[in-house]
Amino acid sequence: MTADAPKILDTSRDFTLRVGDFEGPFDLLLHLCRTNEIDLARLPVRTITDQYLAHLEAIEFRDLEAAGGYLVMAATLIYLKSKLLVPPDPSEIEALDEEGEALRLELEERLRAYARVKGLGAWLAAREAEQALLWGRPVGALPPLEEVPLEDLSVHLVERAVRRLIDEQLRRRPREVEPNPPSILERMTEILTLLRDAWSLLFSSLVGGERRRSEVVVTLLAVLELVRLGRIRTQQTELFGEIVIERQTGETHAGSN
Amino acid sequence: MPAPIDILEALLFASDTPLEPERIREVLELPGVAAARELVEALRSRYADRGLQIVEVGGGYRMVTRPELQPWLVRLTRSRTKQRLSRPALETLAIVAYKQPVSRPEVDAIRGVNSEAVLESLLERRLIRIPGRKDAPGRPYLFETTREFLVAFGLRDLGDLPKVEGELLVPELAVVAEHGEAEAQQDPGPGGADVPAGS
Repeated sequence: MTADAPKILDTSRDFTLRVGDFEGPFDLLLHLCRTNEIDLARLPVRTITDQYLAHLEAIEFRDLEAAGGYLVMAATLIYLKSKLLVPPDPSEIEALDEEGEALRLELEERLRAYARVKGLGAWLAAREAEQALLWGRPVGALPPLEEVPLEDLSVHLVERAVRRLIDEQLRRRPREVEPNPPSILERMTEILTLLRDAWSLLFSSLVGGERRRSEVVVTLLAVLELVRLGRIRTQQTELFGEIVIERQTGETHAGSN
Repeated sequence: MPAPIDILEALLFASDTPLEPERIREVLELPGVAAARELVEALRSRYADRGLQIVEVGGGYRMVTRPELQPWLVRLTRSRTKQRLSRPALETLAIVAYKQPVSRPEVDAIRGVNSEAVLESLLERRLIRIPGRKDAPGRPYLFETTREFLVAFGLRDLGDLPKVEGELLVPELAVVAEHGEAEAQQDPGPGGADVPAGS
C-alpha cells in the first residue's frame, strides 16, 4: 500500500506522519482526495479506504482522544468497503445498497463542507497576512468599564484567569541571592542576647520588616536549635499565628516543645 | 473654530476603535450620516499620498499605516507583535463566521475533531464571543464573531466574507489551499526578507 502513498509524504520522514500534520479525519481524507485528484462528488470507496488505513498506520497518535475521530472514520470507510466486497463488482462504478449509498453521500457532503471551511480558512489567513501590514492605534488593553460586554464573559474564562494567576504566583519564587546569608549561630546568639533583657520576643520582630525568605529560614532554624538545646521555649497558639519566644527558666523544660 | 475636516482627522488619530459615521456625525454635530461620510472622503483624498491611510473596517473608519511601510514599523518595534492564528484557529473562525451563532457540537461536527481548546483561545483573543446558549439538549454555548474579528481581518461587515453558497468548486479551492500552504511556509520571517537593506 505504501507505493500508493502520495509523493509529498514519502521523503525524509519514513512514512511517519505526526497527527499534528492533519487536523482531523476529514483533513486527512481531504488530503488523500487532493493528492489523488479525486472528485469529491464521487468518492471511490475502495481506493480511499485502503489509502486512509495505510496512512492511519503511519500516524503516531499522542493520545486516545486524538485517535478516536480517526478510528471512527476508519470504521465508516471499512463498513462502506465491506458492502462493496461481495459480490466484487467488475465494473468501475462502485455500487452500494441504499444504506451504503446514503452513508457515502453523507460522507461526501461532510467532506465537501470541510473542504469549504478549509478554503475559507486559507482565505482568512491571506486576509490576516494582508492586515498584518497595516498598523493602527493599538486597542487599549482594557476597554472602559462601562463598555465591557458582559455577554463576552463566561465562568470558564474567569476560572482560566484565576488559574493563570495562581500559576503566576507559584512561579514567583524568591529571586534574590544574598551575598552573605545570615548565619544560624549568629542569629542564635542574637536571640539569647535579646532575651537577657526581655521575657519574651515575637518571632516577627526578629525577622525584620522585609521578611526576606532567607531571614525567616535562618531565624526559624536558630529558634528550633535553641529549643532543642533547651535555652528557650516557644508558643504558637494558632496555625500560622505569631510565635512567642520565651527564655527557658531553670531546668524544667520537660513539658515544653 | 477649527475646520470640521481637521477635527475629524484628530478623532481618527486618537480613536483606538473604528469610528462609526454615526459617531462622527454626533461629535461634529453634522446634519446627517451622509455628511459624515463625505467628510471622511474629503479627508481621504488629503491622505492620498501620505504614510497613513483611512480604511473602513468593522462598521467604522480607522487610520492605519500604508502596507508598504510595514518593514520600517517592524524595525521600530524590533519584533512582530502581531501573532498569526494557527490553521485550526482560522478554520474554526471561518465556521463561526459563516454559521453564527453556532454551538461547539456543530463546529466539532464540521471539523471532525474536538474544538474546545481552539474556541477558547479565540474567545480569549476576543475574535469570538458567547451571545448566549442554544436551546438544545445540554444547552451548549453559542459563539459568534466580534467587531474585533472584522477589524483584525479588515472586513467592513460580514458581507465582505466570500460567498460559499451551493456547491464548492474544488479546483479553485485547491489553488487557494496551495496558496495558504505557501503562505505558511513563509511564516518564519515574513517581514525579515522584505526589509530594505540600505536605509
